[in-house]
Amino acid sequence: MPILVIDGRSVTVPPGTTILEAARSAGIEIPTLCFLEGLGGGTSCMLCVVKVSGVRDLVPACAAKVADGMEVLTSDPQIHQARRTALELLLSDHVGDCMAPCQLACPAHMVIPAMIRAIAQADLAGAIRVVKSTIAMPAVASRLCNAPCQKACRRGRLDEPVAICLLKRLVAELDLHAPSPFAPTPEAPRSARVAVVGAGPAGLACAYYLAWAGISVTVFDDRSEPGGTLRDVGEKFLPRGLLDAEIRTILDTGLQMQMGIRVGKDIPLRTLRSQFNAVVLAIGATAGQQASQLGLSAGADGLSVDSQTYQTDLPGVFAAGDAVRPRRMVSRALAEGRAIAHCVRQYVQGMPIQGIRMPFNSHIGQVDRGVLDQMILLASKDRQVRPVEEQVGFSLAEGRQEAARCLHCDCRKAQSCGLRRLADLYQARQSRFKGSRRAFALVLDHPDLIYEPGKCISCGICVRLTRLYQERYGLTFIGRGFQMGLGVPFGKGLAEGIERCAAHCVRACPTGALAWR
Amino acid sequence: MAHLDLTAVEQIVRRIGTGQDRLLELLHALQDHFGYLPCEALQRLSEITGISPADIWGVATFYDRFRHSPAGRHTIHVCVGTACHVKGAELVHEAFRRYLKIPEGQDTDQQMRFTVMKVACLGCCTLAPAVQIDGITYGHLTGESVGQVLEDFLQRQASRQADIQARPAKKDRMAAQIRIGLGSCCQARGSAGLYSALKEVLSERGLDAEVKTVGCVGMCHQTPLLELIIGDKSYLYARVRPEDLDQIIGRHIQSPRPLRALVVAAKRSLDQLIAGPLEQHNHAILLEPRDRPVQEFLGNQIRIVTECSGQIDPLDLGQYIEAGGFAGLRRCLDGLSAEYVIEQIRISGLRGRGGAGFPTYAKWAAVRAQQTQPKYVICNGDEGDPGAFMDRMLMESYPFRIIEGMTIAAWCVGAREGFFYIRAEYPLALQRIQKAIQICTEGGYLGRSIMGTDFSLDLRIIPGAGAFVCGEETAMIASIEGRRGHPRFRPPFPAEHGLWGRPTLINNVETFATVPWILRNGGSALAAIGTQTSKGTKVFALAGKVARGGLIEVPMGIKIRQIVEQIGGGCAEGRPFKAVQVGGPSGGSISAELDHLGIDYETLNEAGAMMGSGGLVVLDEGDCMVDMARYFLQFTQNQSCGKCAFCRIGTRRMLEILDAICQGQGKEQDLDELWNLAQMVQKASLCGLGKTAPKPVLTSLRYFRSEYIAHLQGRCPAGRCRALIRYMITDKCNGCTLCAQHCPAEAIGWTPYQQHAIDQTRCIKCGTCKAVCPCNAVRVE
Repeated sequence: MPILVIDGRSVTVPPGTTILEAARSAGIEIPTLCFLEGLGGGTSCMLCVVKVSGVRDLVPACAAKVADGMEVLTSDPQIHQARRTALELLLSDHVGDCMAPCQLACPAHMVIPAMIRAIAQADLAGAIRVVKSTIAMPAVASRLCNAPCQKACRRGRLDEPVAICLLKRLVAELDLHAPSPFAPTPEAPRSARVAVVGAGPAGLACAYYLAWAGISVTVFDDRSEPGGTLRDVGEKFLPRGLLDAEIRTILDTGLQMQMGIRVGKDIPLRTLRSQFNAVVLAIGATAGQQASQLGLSAGADGLSVDSQTYQTDLPGVFAAGDAVRPRRMVSRALAEGRAIAHCVRQYVQGMPIQGIRMPFNSHIGQVDRGVLDQMILLASKDRQVRPVEEQVGFSLAEGRQEAARCLHCDCRKAQSCGLRRLADLYQARQSRFKGSRRAFALVLDHPDLIYEPGKCISCGICVRLTRLYQERYGLTFIGRGFQMGLGVPFGKGLAEGIERCAAHCVRACPTGALAWR
Repeated sequence: MAHLDLTAVEQIVRRIGTGQDRLLELLHALQDHFGYLPCEALQRLSEITGISPADIWGVATFYDRFRHSPAGRHTIHVCVGTACHVKGAELVHEAFRRYLKIPEGQDTDQQMRFTVMKVACLGCCTLAPAVQIDGITYGHLTGESVGQVLEDFLQRQASRQADIQARPAKKDRMAAQIRIGLGSCCQARGSAGLYSALKEVLSERGLDAEVKTVGCVGMCHQTPLLELIIGDKSYLYARVRPEDLDQIIGRHIQSPRPLRALVVAAKRSLDQLIAGPLEQHNHAILLEPRDRPVQEFLGNQIRIVTECSGQIDPLDLGQYIEAGGFAGLRRCLDGLSAEYVIEQIRISGLRGRGGAGFPTYAKWAAVRAQQTQPKYVICNGDEGDPGAFMDRMLMESYPFRIIEGMTIAAWCVGAREGFFYIRAEYPLALQRIQKAIQICTEGGYLGRSIMGTDFSLDLRIIPGAGAFVCGEETAMIASIEGRRGHPRFRPPFPAEHGLWGRPTLINNVETFATVPWILRNGGSALAAIGTQTSKGTKVFALAGKVARGGLIEVPMGIKIRQIVEQIGGGCAEGRPFKAVQVGGPSGGSISAELDHLGIDYETLNEAGAMMGSGGLVVLDEGDCMVDMARYFLQFTQNQSCGKCAFCRIGTRRMLEILDAICQGQGKEQDLDELWNLAQMVQKASLCGLGKTAPKPVLTSLRYFRSEYIAHLQGRCPAGRCRALIRYMITDKCNGCTLCAQHCPAEAIGWTPYQQHAIDQTRCIKCGTCKAVCPCNAVRVE
């Protein structure tokens, strides 16, 4: 049996094994998109390139067979560069969005399309989980938010945007009125203790997500009731009962509340620092004036912090919300509360503080009317639903009707896409190579599948699968070179091309090109 | 749409066979029948043959030659090969489209008369720019002359139509064809009127003969060449003057009636290539080199592969044998050992002539060492590089030599079956090899019990269908097997795992053609020629801006300067020699400053170029190196099979950067990005096409970076890049109005007797004004 050396480790495998398989057997992962267990590699994506001693060029590990005495290097700066370039080339011709424009526009980056689809299916538990994963006080937010998501909504270019804010309100209020509103199951309790100063939207959101992460949180505020400036909003815009109910869901995560205490006056920051693993200052727009009192530096707008990590110049002291930059936007404050919770959590766990890192996101960019006309094919053609009772908002039936208008701009395989995962890992930039790319298209002539040619990376896995499963027509590459595409012979529809192995194709397709409807 | 009669599909399958390795032939036959590949016919083909729909559809859409929509009645193939490109093929292509009013995005005119297509290379490089209309080649076109060409073509059609009515049998109609070489050297010798004179002679005599213009076959400096083809015989005259025509024509074609008799009679006699001072009475055939240029041209050449050049008839087996043909094979069969023969090949130092230069003996030994049977041999005749036509010439002129080399190889390695893979753009080569195989089989040199021994070998031709990548050996194997021409990773090499997974020897046409000589003269005789690492000779197609273009066979190690200046006679148009492009799209442009370099595999590689299959295109100061890089990349990008990401998308992105630079929209960082991307594509592409595609870009960045920088600043020093130049009329203008009359864009006002002016907003930069101006008053800035 050949013995070879991979990244300095001696590996013994049977003759005929590829370098990729040999590396895997030794626990060394080589990235690939066109390899499928049982079918082998396609030497198409070329992400599996490695160096083999004595060979001048880079070698695709999915096709190169091992040889006795071979020395393989699976990673170095040049290999990394090659893989990144390969990804950037694939991405330069990848016409699809990972995340929908509404999600990108949302200050909290709520997975709006997932919420909408849950509503459409009357899955309220699913919907509130999606909402609460990013927005701690959605009922409050839907009353006060100016809905940038709806401005970004592509449907708005056809008729009117999906009424996202009303849908969120529906989900949030139905939850608040439910016998047992959504309560996150905290992760395993941690020994860490964190003090959150300020019970406004940013402070409460921060406390909520810290508690969800299993961290014990004490909230300090100089007011008598939690809510901060939200208490100053008029009843007409934000009914008091609603505010109280929603704050209750936050306090129910097990927060220690220390109301009527002003940090810096009643209790020095120093003391908090000594009693807690970390301190979060969410003390609102007056923070600038309090800075010297707290022993912190301040700029024109508020406390000075690191823009990525929200750390002040005192170790373990974080600041966020209007305390840093007055924005007077509750959604942003809520979003920042969650972001800071993330940083604090990383800090108390001794991890590098990175905050919430946005995953890689492929962009279509501006779309024209032709694209929209295709996207609407699977959506309700109706105009925006107007709630019968404007004050009350949507009924569930109305909400479901409205939810059906969503164009599903986000990728159906955003969570399982191999291309996205690797683009993230290798920090590929989609914008590196600009140039012509395929047109956006949706192929909908299969009852269960959606094929998006713009997302295909020509890995050939589905072509090989349809051959393996002896499809009558199957799939084949059509044309050549940059124009090469995937298709069913003789111009037949996808339904005739894939009669037997749709599930295999969807599972194996490394991108969102082939997906369930 | 009218119902399609599919009975032809059955007939075609019955004639050709049902195997998947017949797929290319089947598709060619279907296209010949229907004019394109109708979907219904392909479906029927799948039903009858059992070849999967995916394979048929995938293959039918892979190759350039296959059409999927009806074409016009006539097809105009505009050659965009290297030599044609540098001489303005793009303008000719546009002119045809403009003349025929073909809408954007389509290739056929509204009346469905003409389909205009670009073709990678017609191999008529000395006729550049050239086009082929339904098999009739026209050379030296300008944007201005397309109208005349079409008129001429239609006239021919009309007379042919009449012909068909009179004599419907196709063969009779084609009874006489007269081919005239119209290389640039012809014109230099003041005989441009030959073509019209010939037509005059023919009409005077009331003769029905097709007059065809063709490229020369290596004796471009001795042209005009005139070839008469009567039936399947051909007669070649050199240095023909108009006044000789009457005599020549009279000798072969008396009148329409006796012509038939002559054809019948000629069938028994042998084709004759009249290319020597044999026929004393005719001035036209004096070929004895007397002048210095001829001596220079020939004196630097050594004839091994082109041995007996101009002396033997391509399809005369007797003449070939008389000249020593099949003596090598006989020696093998008479008792040499395969090991001995392979050792001789090793001693000879012969390396693959397809371009990469892998030692030939090593391939042979590797296939021989394989224990499994069957084994195969393949002759790679898919010469796809634009600007190269050596293999075409060898196949047309020396088919027996190639067959002998291949047979020796098959015997050595233990193969019983072999394939010629020949590109469809070479109909004459296909025809000659086919015929030669038949003659050899009948003569006992192929087939069962070759030369009375127990050795057998069957050879078959696979016609390519227009895919450069199929010259890559693993892609070629896929293509022969009836699959899309996608290459695969090597190793395993074909020697171990080739056709149908069997040990397979693949050599280039020229490599095989060298073998018989080695067998007759011994390996050391070849090794005595050439350099330390590169032995023997190499055939080059010398074209471009050189005075004496043609096909040459030179010893390895010959200096670039010797080729350009002595053999080629320097640059034709008097502009300074700037660079020589070696190896086509896989090679690079070597600056004139390096003309002291000797041509061998290593030297060319070190200079950033590559031997390639042997195209040598000479460039002068009028050629833009950025444009050349863009041209080659456009070719490879278009020919990329699409399998691997680096080549499929990487070459495209490189091309887009170059396009921007040529448009004057390049940015400084583009040069670094271009360099980095080119390096990556070279290092990480799957096959040779992708690995070598960046070479033209990298060499031009290396030797001509200043030209790139000039483009970034909005200047094209050579005046080629259309976005960066403008046409101006100087005060030399005498107001003749010719330019105004001919301008297709109506950009020049009609101002008789006054200096004309060009409206820059309307000018499409087609160059017509410059071409028609009698007083050289049009300047390019």
